[in-house]
Amino acid sequence: MTSQTHAGQTIIDPPEDGQFRNGQATNGSTPSPTTLSLHLTINGQTHALEVEPRVTLLDALRERLHLTGTKKGCDQGQCGACTVHVDGERVLACLTLAAQVEGRSVTTIEGLAGEDGTLNAVQAAFLEQDAFQCGYCTPGQIMSAVACIREGHAGSDEEIREYMAGNLCRCGAYPHIVAAVRQAAQELRS
Amino acid sequence: MRDFSYLRADSVEAARNAAALPGAMLLAGGTTLVDLAKCGVAEPSTVIDVSHIEGLNAIDVNSDRAIIGALAKMSHVADHAAVKSQFPAVSEALWQAASAQLRNMATIGGNLMQRTRCPYFRDPANFPACNKRAPGSGCSAIGGITRGHAVLGTSEACIATYPGDLAIALVAFDAEVDLGERRLKIEDFFLAPGATAEQEHDIRPGEIITAIEIPGSAAARRSTYLKVRDRQSYEFAAASAAIGLELEADGRTIRDIRVALGGVATKPWRARSVEDALKGKALDEASVRKASELAMEGAVDHGANHYKIALAPRVIARAILKLGETA
Amino acid sequence: MTVHDMKHAASDSARLEAVGGRLSRVDGPAKITGKAHYAFEQQLEGLTHAVLVSATIAAGKVIGIDTRAAETAPGVLAVLTPDTIMVLKGASDWLGNPPAQPTYNPLAREVTFSGQHIAAVVAETFEQAVAAAALVKVSYDETPAIVDLSDGTDGIPIEAMTKEWGNAEAAFAAAPVRVCAAYNTPREFQAAMEPHGLIARWQGDELTIWEPSQWVDGMARTYAEWFGVPFENVRLVSPYIGGGFGSKALALAHSAVAAAAAKMLGRPVKLVLNRPQNFTSYGGRAATRQTVAIGADKAGRIQSIVHRGVNETAVDGMWVEPLGSVTAIMYATPNFSSKQNVVRVNTVVPGAKRAPGENPSAFGIECAIDELAYELGIDPLEMRLINYAEQDPQVKKPWSTRQLREAFAAGAEAFGWAKRSPAPHSMRDGRQLVGWGVAAGTYPVRRAYGEAMVKILADGSVEVESSSIDMGQGTYTILAQTAAETLGVPVEQVTVKLGDSLLARAGVTGGSRLAGVMTGAVYKAASQALDELVGLALSDPRSPFHGLQANTLAVKDGRIASPRGEGPELSIAELMGMLGRERIEAKGDTVPAGFTPEQRYNNYTTIAMALPHTEGDYSRHSWCAHFVEVRVDEDFGTVRVSRVVSALDSGRLYNPKLAESQWKGGIIMGIGQALLEEGIVDRRHGRIVNGNFADYMLPTNADIPDIQTISVGIPDPHSSALGGKGVGELGIVGVAPAIANAVFHATGKRVRDLPITLEKLI
Ligand SMILES: Cc1cc2nc3c(=O)[nH]c(=O)nc-3n(C[C@H](O)[C@H](O)[C@H](O)COP(=O)(O)OP(=O)(O)OC[C@H]3O[C@@H](n4cnc5c(N)ncnc54)[C@H](O)[C@@H]3O)c2cc1C
Ligand code: SF4
Ligand code: FES
Ligand code: FES
Repeated sequence: MTSQTHAGQTIIDPPEDGQFRNGQATNGSTPSPTTLSLHLTINGQTHALEVEPRVTLLDALRERLHLTGTKKGCDQGQCGACTVHVDGERVLACLTLAAQVEGRSVTTIEGLAGEDGTLNAVQAAFLEQDAFQCGYCTPGQIMSAVACIREGHAGSDEEIREYMAGNLCRCGAYPHIVAAVRQAAQELRS
Repeated sequence: MRDFSYLRADSVEAARNAAALPGAMLLAGGTTLVDLAKCGVAEPSTVIDVSHIEGLNAIDVNSDRAIIGALAKMSHVADHAAVKSQFPAVSEALWQAASAQLRNMATIGGNLMQRTRCPYFRDPANFPACNKRAPGSGCSAIGGITRGHAVLGTSEACIATYPGDLAIALVAFDAEVDLGERRLKIEDFFLAPGATAEQEHDIRPGEIITAIEIPGSAAARRSTYLKVRDRQSYEFAAASAAIGLELEADGRTIRDIRVALGGVATKPWRARSVEDALKGKALDEASVRKASELAMEGAVDHGANHYKIALAPRVIARAILKLGETA
Repeated sequence: MTVHDMKHAASDSARLEAVGGRLSRVDGPAKITGKAHYAFEQQLEGLTHAVLVSATIAAGKVIGIDTRAAETAPGVLAVLTPDTIMVLKGASDWLGNPPAQPTYNPLAREVTFSGQHIAAVVAETFEQAVAAAALVKVSYDETPAIVDLSDGTDGIPIEAMTKEWGNAEAAFAAAPVRVCAAYNTPREFQAAMEPHGLIARWQGDELTIWEPSQWVDGMARTYAEWFGVPFENVRLVSPYIGGGFGSKALALAHSAVAAAAAKMLGRPVKLVLNRPQNFTSYGGRAATRQTVAIGADKAGRIQSIVHRGVNETAVDGMWVEPLGSVTAIMYATPNFSSKQNVVRVNTVVPGAKRAPGENPSAFGIECAIDELAYELGIDPLEMRLINYAEQDPQVKKPWSTRQLREAFAAGAEAFGWAKRSPAPHSMRDGRQLVGWGVAAGTYPVRRAYGEAMVKILADGSVEVESSSIDMGQGTYTILAQTAAETLGVPVEQVTVKLGDSLLARAGVTGGSRLAGVMTGAVYKAASQALDELVGLALSDPRSPFHGLQANTLAVKDGRIASPRGEGPELSIAELMGMLGRERIEAKGDTVPAGFTPEQRYNNYTTIAMALPHTEGDYSRHSWCAHFVEVRVDEDFGTVRVSRVVSALDSGRLYNPKLAESQWKGGIIMGIGQALLEEGIVDRRHGRIVNGNFADYMLPTNADIPDIQTISVGIPDPHSSALGGKGVGELGIVGVAPAIANAVFHATGKRVRDLPITLEKLI
């Protein structure tokens, strides 16, 4: 059996008898839960944190790292408010375990604007088009929109609507969101 | 969510061994597992993260077949140029599923393993009776809210609808699932509830899906997936159809046709009676509509889901007609 | 407390900052960068997490709660049950009526609805609290539940809802043309994206609550009464609200649990309802049923309207959804009768959802008049003009302003209504049946009194403070605009602080009243501050304007000078420096002179002091007309809205950019109501089975077409100080009937039960 620790995370190559404790053999037949020491790369910075394996990326961001820009609307993958980028792709932080993203790079709404505060083209377009009201779905919308454009799914209004459908907005900012994504996509293309 | 230990597997072998542990569950994209753990439906004692295993996400397509690694993401398969051209129904089933974010997380292997959206199944605290969750406990859905429940393949034990989209296209085109030691036809991989509602897949402890393979065909190349639902997007199907069509050189006689149904059955449902009725016949609206009705042979409703019996054949017919128009 | 950087917001173009300008949201930059911290996102030392255990039956008694497993679970600090939670005092209701019971226990022994809170677990982490809550085992003695309107009796008549004139029944019976039908709306939910929740912290006898709130003063009063502490000891902080739509105006049972737990543990407690609990812990819109009977002559002139309505309410709480509100005023009729009952069912007490009353009321009357139009073969738009009410038919007073005719005209023109093919089922596009529908909407102008503080600081910047809130309607922005315009300073120099009960007081943000109330108060406060500044400038010997013959000075772009241009021109900062002043501050209010402190307190903490919209000589309402195109798939019965043009009269718009957003938001919520939204109750369990965002469906972006809104309002001096009427609720009223009417036009099928789902058309 080999068991190695890589970036604070246990990678397993299981023992013949199939007994582990987060990578280490124990006397029990199943490993028991322990706290994990994670190193997460978020917005280019490495954060060390000790969490139980069941902690989601969303709760790690909001409750442990105090990055509350990423919102919790449903905690069940049904609204898109928790959208962040992992290795540049949009995903839902509420259905992602924090442990899963160790070794990957996470971007949240707090990391989108330039160091000097220059807004991302999508952020600026959201402001100009009034693409939000209460603002609660907005970080998720913006993270989703940035990825939507990058994926090449902002070719027409119809395509934008479909590919932004995973972000609910109860204030009903949808037509303005479409306008903002269209505008930002045009700006980024030119 | 009860606590569990987290293990990361870096090879299929390691994952297989770990998966054989009692209470262990694989974690790929997590969009089913983490969700169900929050609902209190899944209670793994160990979670084996397979998402970092290298080499399991390949998408390899030619005109003879597609081989898609179990860890390939739904979004990547949907947007894959060769999948779009050789297997349009597969791409369409994928991009109409869930949301862009979920498709970036969810894997093909995990997708086949997703569980029903029966609201009673998903709420153990309020509805203890569910044969799928707790064999022998009864079925809370029967006699309750059944608008989304199945009309085909149901049993007295369970009437839960198979919710996925991709597998509908896969059964239409005779795909196979690769479990390493075993290979199964997708149709056989999914199990109707019968008296054992808890058994949804023919998969054994320690087995892992490594890939799916879809044979290429003229019907697969000319195929589509039509999904009907209350909401335009981000919703499971009320009824859906995956159709493949091959016409004779005359451009109207049906040489090969594949018909599979989603949203109305307890498992991905191949409608061979519709296929048989249409093979060799001319493609015209009246005969397509008539043949599509055959898909509902043996359908049983539970009240609020009655509409599915009328709806599903229309979805089949419209999908066939749409393919016919794009000659 | 929230400070906004105006750099980005103000960069659009000139004159934005004036009232009426299209200034971008001043709180926008914080919201699009993730820097806006919503109420329960505050970071506190020693924070603990509470999770509720909710009833799994709809009626009965709790006979046992086994907390042993939960108590010994890792991280658990306390498990609270009805027996162990501290007993609170009863609190008065939102009208200020004294409590019915002297004590209040927010955890229930007697269960009257599924989802009622039974116990709560407090733990060090959220995950631990969730896991331990699942270990609490409650046993019940279950009794049969009354599940919905169809179970009950005729219900309890609500006499105050009765409106009658003429002899409606006889006139209806005698009318040559008659339509009569029943219209039903299901239980619907506000479903704000931000869940309900709070953080509670005690420091001695002082309680701080961070909680999304549409009414910080009203909620602070409730907490003060629950815990028997002075009102001043409670601070309620609600800097941003992630949507409320009527649901976030009251302190609720879960709020009490969190505050009690914090008191008992001596540590701050955070409690956030999970999404399913957001469907069972507070009321959405009550399910309603109405019958509308209209009798008319052959020319389409209405002779009589007979209306009967019923809404569900709770076993232990009263909610009346006023179903006759639009019915009574939309059309002129010589004979009218409307009566309403409520039926008690086992549900959480229903509550306010965007345009309570007007919304379902409009669904009834606006569908019924459409049915009458088809019955007579008269164009539905023409039908509405034939019966146009030139004055309020109910109170027989003139409208303050009613631009509804203008709305019909502008909307019809932009929509192309004239090209409509009159017969149902006569327009199609391939396999899609196309239908056009119209309906009108209205919402009363609710008025109240408010106060605001305006401070001019030494550096020439301006602060506006109010305990009112911004849940997306744009309070931050329009108050900044009001202060900037009144004072004559650039809007970038204005900072607005809201959502804190320590600040100058405001009443509830509901009923679309806030903008009218608060722009008036800020206008007054700013005017007073300006008067003081000008007064000092003219009278203080240190001022360069001292001794000038002028009796006033003007401020423009932050610079002060005599209106005739003689003498110096200074920036406000320079003048403040010369005057040696740190600040000039003025509290302005619109409260009638002679109000006692008691009356003032009641004004801000109850809704009892609100002014009726028919007070005095006028009847005040905002108005709108919606024109909708739907496509119905002829095979599948799926309905999609493909075009909306709405013309709306909200009086003067303080910021058209933000008003349009609110209108569209209302229209979109109306599309959801018409086609998707329904709380589905399992009759055996009395429980909502679709209480989540996958099964209770809100519209997605893909469900919403481009929407055109047209403002047809004119300033209404009788409605508010600056001439505005309500914006926020108006947009939703009339959308569902316009869609139902369009579906009829497309298919020839009249669906009178919302939502219009595919099985009703297949
Ligand atoms: C809100 C929402 C909406 C959705 N809408 C749709 C929809 O419209 N259409 C649709 O088709 N789907 C939909 N889904 C379901 C989604 O597609 C599935 O959750 C997803 O495909 C599961 O993949 P995953 O990789 O995330 O699986 P995971 O959650 O990681 O795993 C799911 C299960 O599969 C097992 N597993 C994972 N990988 C393997 C493997 N290689 N071999 C053996 N077992 C494995 C796991 O142990 C687990 O039990 C929706 C999901 C959500 C949350
Ligand atoms: S239908 Fe199946 S999954 Fe749903 S409650 Fe019944 S047994 Fe459980
Ligand atoms: S919070 Fe993650 S999708 Fe809603
Ligand atoms: S802006 Fe409020 S939910 Fe989208």
